[in-house]
Amino acid sequence: MRNVLARARVTLDALEHLVGGLGTAVLSLVALLFVTVTAAACLIGVGLLVVPFMLRAVRAVADRERGRLTRWGPDLDGPVRPPSIRDPATWRELRWLAGHATAGLLLGIFGLVLPLNAVRDGTFPLWWRLLPDGEATSSLGFPTVHTAGGAAGVSLLGLAWVGIAVGLTPGMARLQAWPGRRLLRADTQADLALRVARLTATRAAALDAHATELRRIERSLHDGTQNRIVAVTVLLGAARRALEKDPATADAIMERAQDAAERALAELRAVVRSILPPVLTDRSLPDALTALAADCAVPCRLDAALSGRCAASVEATVYFAVAEALTNIARHSQARQAVVTLRRDGPGLWLRITDDGRGGADEHGGSGLQGIRRRIEAHDGTLTVTSPPGGPTILEASLPCGS
Amino acid sequence: MRVVIAEDDPLLREGLALLLRAEDLDVVATAGSPDELLAAVDEHRPDVAIVDVRMPPTHTDEGIAAAVEARRRLPGLAVLVLSAYVEQAFATDLLVGGGAGLGYLLKERVGRVQEFLTALHRVAAGGTAIDPEIVAQLLVRTTPDARLDRLSPRERDVLALMAEGLGNTAVAERLFVTEGAVHKHIRSIFAKLDLTPDDRTDRRVTAVLHYLEDARRRS
Repeated sequence: MRNVLARARVTLDALEHLVGGLGTAVLSLVALLFVTVTAAACLIGVGLLVVPFMLRAVRAVADRERGRLTRWGPDLDGPVRPPSIRDPATWRELRWLAGHATAGLLLGIFGLVLPLNAVRDGTFPLWWRLLPDGEATSSLGFPTVHTAGGAAGVSLLGLAWVGIAVGLTPGMARLQAWPGRRLLRADTQADLALRVARLTATRAAALDAHATELRRIERSLHDGTQNRIVAVTVLLGAARRALEKDPATADAIMERAQDAAERALAELRAVVRSILPPVLTDRSLPDALTALAADCAVPCRLDAALSGRCAASVEATVYFAVAEALTNIARHSQARQAVVTLRRDGPGLWLRITDDGRGGADEHGGSGLQGIRRRIEAHDGTLTVTSPPGGPTILEASLPCGS
Repeated sequence: MRVVIAEDDPLLREGLALLLRAEDLDVVATAGSPDELLAAVDEHRPDVAIVDVRMPPTHTDEGIAAAVEARRRLPGLAVLVLSAYVEQAFATDLLVGGGAGLGYLLKERVGRVQEFLTALHRVAAGGTAIDPEIVAQLLVRTTPDARLDRLSPRERDVLALMAEGLGNTAVAERLFVTEGAVHKHIRSIFAKLDLTPDDRTDRRVTAVLHYLEDARRRS
């Protein structure tokens, strides 16, 4: 049942993408006509005046497609420079336009027609008698149906359409998106400008995360530890008074004071652990992760093969990413097992956390995924989250080692 | 004396209640939030409320607002605010309507039971109790102020104790001088700071605190 639902979800997503692609394909077709007319007008000279407008129109359509593709895949950033006839990025946009306005359009139409045909033929036995005699045919235009048996045959065709949709649409959606993903990418020069912009953003996020962290520590020291120690002084004061007046009660009060002092120590330990776990500084990252995996409520297998150490901040980031991810798994996933894999990957680290839970993890649902992403991106790393409904959920991160 | 305690940390709340009960004070209710405090004040109409500054929901300065509101509902209610750290802005917010029956102390002062009880009784009797730490902050942070510089060292001591809310007798005891000497020092201080002399300690405290604050703002 889970599989069927997941499959249906995938198909519906693919159909949505195809129809969305149909929208930009129609725009592309209009833009392509504009380009053709302009090119023809250029032959007699007057078109040259229109070229900048034409290029901007193409850019607008391409940006729409970039936005659409970014919504369901890796980020696709457009060129930073304005379109120009001398810019290779602009020529790539034109090539994409030609492809999307033709093949992309056809794929989109097919994606739209498939479910319509499935509904039409699937429900055919219910309404075929209403059609004038001799015109009752399947969506293919043949055969002409005269009997209820024939109509039932057409409804089987409806099922076939559903089968085709389930089998083909995911591939079609990918095929439709492929030219855009390849041709609408920013080139290296733009990459650099984008990188600067992204570094600025991640740096701000890192500072933000830092401030949040400080606030959290301040809060736990203040409302936890400090209050406990105040309680100790209050109780000690009370005990001293009791010694003067009624020594019998003093011992009970002293015991409470001792209890409060012990709690202060326990809270202090927890705060220190949350800042930087001692096991991480004293031992190694795999050791720290072993402790995390052992503490996890869901059985967790750790596969960490790592020689040598990384920068302390990178190790801390990996540690907190795993801690947060395991907390998520224990809280939300209903998983039976989790697996954490850590490897050295060239100059960096590669981390994967998987679980066999119900999936559907949403990064914007306040699940802590955003915190993980921020921490990792602050180190110039990347995080991909795959969590289809029905599972499994896979978090994959790679980040430079920094040492 | 009927007392209400508002403190969100259960351990500390119970510790305080235990301490005060052992001193034969009547702790009529304890509260863990501003709402509970106001309900307790409405129900028991206590003489004094001891209020923690940081309380739910935001753990910032709920206690101050709750104290002000409690005094609005029950005029004449003495309030002693306890804080884990001194924040002069809190003191200013609290004393905005005068210092009668108000106190602002660091939490750990409670451990010095005798001094704490003295401050509590002073506040309950309509006096003022300001933590020495706040007074020290005001005096230290104040950048050179021509009029403050005119004070003799002994006069500065008297000013500090006066700002904490101590009456003439108490100041005299602390400084091991006669009350008459204190009286003379105070007249001299008020003259040097261009303040109108006032024999009521609570008005004296606010006058002095305002002066120190102004001096700091001017700097």
